[in-house]
Amino acid sequence: MSQENLRVTEEIDAANPSQGFWSDAWQRYRRRPIGMLALGFVLFLTFVALFAPAIAGTKPVICSYKGDLYFPCLGYFNRSWESPIFTKDKFRGTYPKNLKQKDPESWAVWPLVFQDPYRRVRENEWPGRRENPSRDEGHPNRLNLFGTDQYGVDIFAKMVHGTTIALLVGFVSMGLAGSIGVLVGALGGYFGGWVDMITSRLTEIVMCIPTLVLILALIAVVEKPTIWKTMAIIGATGWTGIARLTRAEFLRLRQTEFVMAARATGAGSLRIMFRHILPNALAPVLVPITFGIASAILVEGSLSFLGFGPPPPTASWGSVLNSARSNLQLWWLVVFPGVGIFLTVLAYNLVGEGLQEATDPRLREAKK
Amino acid sequence: MVAYLLRRVLLGLVTLVVITLMVYGLARSMPGNPLTVQLGESDPSRKLNPEDQQRMLEIYGLDKPWPIGYVQWISKVIQGDLGRSITRKQPVTQLIGERIGPTVLISGTALFLTWFLAIPLGLYASARGGRIDERFTGLVLYALYSFPTFVAALFLQIIFAVWLRDTRWELPLFGMSDLSSDAPFYARCADVAWHAILPITCQTYVVLAYNSRFIKANLEEVVRQDFIRTARAKGAGPWRVLVHHAFRNTLIPLVTLLGLSLPALVGGSVIIEQIFTWPGMGRLFFESIRERDYPTIMGLTLMFSVLTLVGQLLADLLYSIVDPRVNVE
Repeated sequence: MSQENLRVTEEIDAANPSQGFWSDAWQRYRRRPIGMLALGFVLFLTFVALFAPAIAGTKPVICSYKGDLYFPCLGYFNRSWESPIFTKDKFRGTYPKNLKQKDPESWAVWPLVFQDPYRRVRENEWPGRRENPSRDEGHPNRLNLFGTDQYGVDIFAKMVHGTTIALLVGFVSMGLAGSIGVLVGALGGYFGGWVDMITSRLTEIVMCIPTLVLILALIAVVEKPTIWKTMAIIGATGWTGIARLTRAEFLRLRQTEFVMAARATGAGSLRIMFRHILPNALAPVLVPITFGIASAILVEGSLSFLGFGPPPPTASWGSVLNSARSNLQLWWLVVFPGVGIFLTVLAYNLVGEGLQEATDPRLREAKK
Repeated sequence: MVAYLLRRVLLGLVTLVVITLMVYGLARSMPGNPLTVQLGESDPSRKLNPEDQQRMLEIYGLDKPWPIGYVQWISKVIQGDLGRSITRKQPVTQLIGERIGPTVLISGTALFLTWFLAIPLGLYASARGGRIDERFTGLVLYALYSFPTFVAALFLQIIFAVWLRDTRWELPLFGMSDLSSDAPFYARCADVAWHAILPITCQTYVVLAYNSRFIKANLEEVVRQDFIRTARAKGAGPWRVLVHHAFRNTLIPLVTLLGLSLPALVGGSVIIEQIFTWPGMGRLFFESIRERDYPTIMGLTLMFSVLTLVGQLLADLLYSIVDPRVNVE
């Protein structure tokens, strides 16, 4: 080949670098409208979770009080992020009147919907507004978009603030389950022999105990359950499927040439496992993790529904459903959180399915 | 074959010992004990004084550390005795015997319905693959699969027990029977069936959606293979190709799935039985955990794990029957 030709090929190569696996997968994923819709919904939920206090709340997003700027709405994320000056000045959680009374110069930007997820909004708390209806009068209306529960707490606010929990449950518990599963499966698949014997038995044992029962027993053992402990328990029981898949992938990949090459260069076991094999085994493992997020949300929902969820006042969608169990005529307590859980689970399942079709070469052949 | 079975059974026994040991340790580490939880919650005045409680604990053998309790439990189990429930004052085997019927009524019917409907649905879906009607049913099934049971149960309760109250379509909200035990037999049967409609519906639809998608996915994999093209080329009709040539080759994964559904058949569903207050095994498990009734928890755990292991073994054995090429050894 002449010098000239070589230069041209190099230029062409530079202009069209060969696509990596993940960008190729993304190209394929983007072609599926339903998958993109589901991904959009998950992003929307993330947005709602991040900005929950600005969407529904009774604390100003930003306010100027006695010459300083404050962000009291952050108190919904963490009590201590709400400036102590409001406790000192005896606001007792009601801002609109107190702000004007204690500092006529003050101004505030309010959340889109003035409702609180943890308590009933009282009469004239917002000047000129009526008290939240309670019991069977709390139909959805202009002020309470999704109605109110039997104590007069707004359901829309509860749902918005519960989004944070629904998303966290999915990510935290599946992050934990994914780490345990990948570690156990990688050890068993890579080393084989007695290590595999032990890890496979361990997986089988956890699979044999009914998950919900194991979770209920663990929750009973953990005194003072919090949402974080619930997430940890869901994660600690949900890793078996991932472990089995990882093990199968590692069994397959440890005999390939690139692993042998890595070993020949003197790479240690840990380096081979996590730098060489794991990136190649990641795509098939990522799919059950996505489905796992959906099922973790379901499990948290059913736990809260059975009354074993995080204690009040944590606002979770499942706990709204739980309160509906004894008040079936209040249909709005069932419909809105029920549809919320359903859509979230559906979205994660669809994302998982899209991911599977985008990364599994066998399914790709099928479409040709 | 015998050597294989023997090895599987021995391994299974080891697994069983580890499982029961874990669950026993877990159960005994839960705060409180059957006496305090049961009596203290219902009526504070009936709370036992410490000496009585100590004596009762000694009677039940709960005063010793849990590893000793476990050894006592398992040596009784080997003699075929699952012990007596502490809170219900009945032998655990009798308790399980009472609860197993209602559970199998629900889950057995549901299992039958799912397979009865899922196979035609799966065949239909792959026969009409990609057309509008198939895509629509596929979407509906997918949505059903993602629909949480506890939400569906509440929806059904609202529709059939609240909105349709006092109409022909009203269905009972919970329980298994409203009639007393001296009512005529057929009336009682009809009443139980009436009560079972909603729980059966709830237990059927999720599995149905999952199974029919599973069947369709397996069929799609088989349909691409060469022998299907050959069958078409020799002039076999589309249904014959689908049922006779393709479907028979998807039986292996279906058999595995069937084997894995064995524990659920007898174990029941905690959530569904809890929502509809159905007196079955799932509810018994839930209650025994809440009451810290160790013998019942252990009896149920043992049963579940035995069934799971047997289901896995059966699936592996059926493999070799459905597909003679597979050799279990």
